Amino acid sequence: MVQYSYFPGCNLKTNAKGFEKSALAVSKQLDAELVEMPNWNCCGTVHTLASDNLMKRIAPTRILSRSSKHVEILENSPKEVVTLCSMCNSTLKVVNKDIKNDESKLEPINFQLEVDEEEYQKDMEVKHFLEILRDSVGYEKIEKSVKKPLKGLKVFCYYGCMLLHPDEAKIDDEEMPAVLEDLSESLGAEIIFSPLFKHCCGSYHIVDQEDIVNTQVQKIIQSAKQNGANAVVVACPLCAYNLDAQQKSMEKQGLDKELLPIFYFTQLMAIAMGEASNINHFEEHHINPEKLLKKLKLI
Amino acid sequence: MSYGYIKIGSEEKAFIAKVEEISGQNVYSCYQCGKCSAGCAFSYKMDKTVNQFIHLIQLGQKERTLDANTHWICASCFTCTVRCPREIDVAALMEAVREISLRENPEKVRIADLPKESLEKLPNIALVSNFRKKTG
Repeated sequence: MVQYSYFPGCNLKTNAKGFEKSALAVSKQLDAELVEMPNWNCCGTVHTLASDNLMKRIAPTRILSRSSKHVEILENSPKEVVTLCSMCNSTLKVVNKDIKNDESKLEPINFQLEVDEEEYQKDMEVKHFLEILRDSVGYEKIEKSVKKPLKGLKVFCYYGCMLLHPDEAKIDDEEMPAVLEDLSESLGAEIIFSPLFKHCCGSYHIVDQEDIVNTQVQKIIQSAKQNGANAVVVACPLCAYNLDAQQKSMEKQGLDKELLPIFYFTQLMAIAMGEASNINHFEEHHINPEKLLKKLKLI
Repeated sequence: MSYGYIKIGSEEKAFIAKVEEISGQNVYSCYQCGKCSAGCAFSYKMDKTVNQFIHLIQLGQKERTLDANTHWICASCFTCTVRCPREIDVAALMEAVREISLRENPEKVRIADLPKESLEKLPNIALVSNFRKKTG
C-alpha cells in the first residue's frame, strides 16, 4: 500500500464530484490511495507567463509546501503531490520547475509564506494521477482488477491542452500521446482515434466568448463521431464541462441530435472495476451517460 | 495588412523591450515561418494571425498590436509554444501583450456585467482562469 498526498483543486468539490469520488475509490482498490491534503487553496487554474509577476506564483508554492508536510504523516508516500485536474497539474508543475530553477523567485515567495510559518524546500514533485497509474501501478494490475470489461464502448480519448503542454507539464509525448488510450484499452474499451485529440476546447472563453467554444466543441465532437466513437474520455473538468454543456446547448438549438456522453477516465475505471455506480455522480452531467451504459449492459 | 509608413523610434523600442521583459523571450528569434498560425486552433477567429502579430511586435507597433484581437482570442493552449522551431514561448508573448493592455486598462472582462445565471452555472475553474487572464 502506498499513500499519495492528493491535491483536489476547486472543481472536484463542486461540479466534478464524480471525478474525485471515482478516483478515490479506484485508487484504494489499486493500493495507491489518494489522501486529500489538509488546508489546501486554489492553485489559480492557469499559471502566469509573465516573468515579473510573483503574486500569481504564491498559491501553487503554498500548496507544494503544505503537501510536503502532509507527505510525512502518510504511509510509504513518495515526495509527490498528485492531482486529478489537468489544469492544476500543469499550473503546479510549471511553477514548481520555475521556482526550483530560480532562487530569486523562491526567496520572496518564501518570505510571504513565512506569515503562515511555511517554507518551500524545493523537495516536491507534481504528478498527475494518470502518471501514477502508468508508472507506479501499471496497466497490468489495472487489467487484473477489471471485473466488467467495457465491451462495446468506443472511446475517443480527448487530451485537451494541459495534459500535453507546455513542455514542463506534459505527462506524455505531446504529438502522439498514449496514456489515455492504453488505460482505456486495459479496461476493455475500443479506442477511436481522431486527429483533434488535443484541439483546444476554447477553455475559459466559455465565460465571455461562448461562440468560440461552440465552434471548437462542434469540430471536436463531429470528428470523433465520424471516426465511430460513442463516448469521449477526458481528464480535465473544464474540457468536460465545455464538451458536455455545449453539446447539450447545441441540441436545444437543433444543431445536433446525436450526443456523445463525456466520461472522466476514473469513471470508466470505476465502472470496469465494479464500484457502485452512484459514486460517478452521473446526475451532474448534462448528457446522461447512463443511457449508453445501460444499452451496453455495463450498469 | 495595409501599407503605410512604419517608424521605429524610441517609443517603438520601449514597447519591444517591455514585451521582451515580461515574456522573457527574444522577439527577433522569430523568422516568420508561420507554424504557430498553421497549428493554432483559433486562427480563423483572429484578425491578425499569430505570426503577423509577432511581426507587429518586432516592428514595435504598440497601437496596432493592442488593437488586434489575437491576444484575446489566444486561450494559452501552448500548441504554438511546443511547436515553434525557434523555441520561442509564443504563448508568453501573447501573455505579455495581454499584461501590457491590462496594466493600462485592467478590465477586459467586467465581472459586474456578466449575467447572474452564467456566474451561477459556470464551473469555478472557468471563472477563475478567465478572470486571471482578462482582468488586471
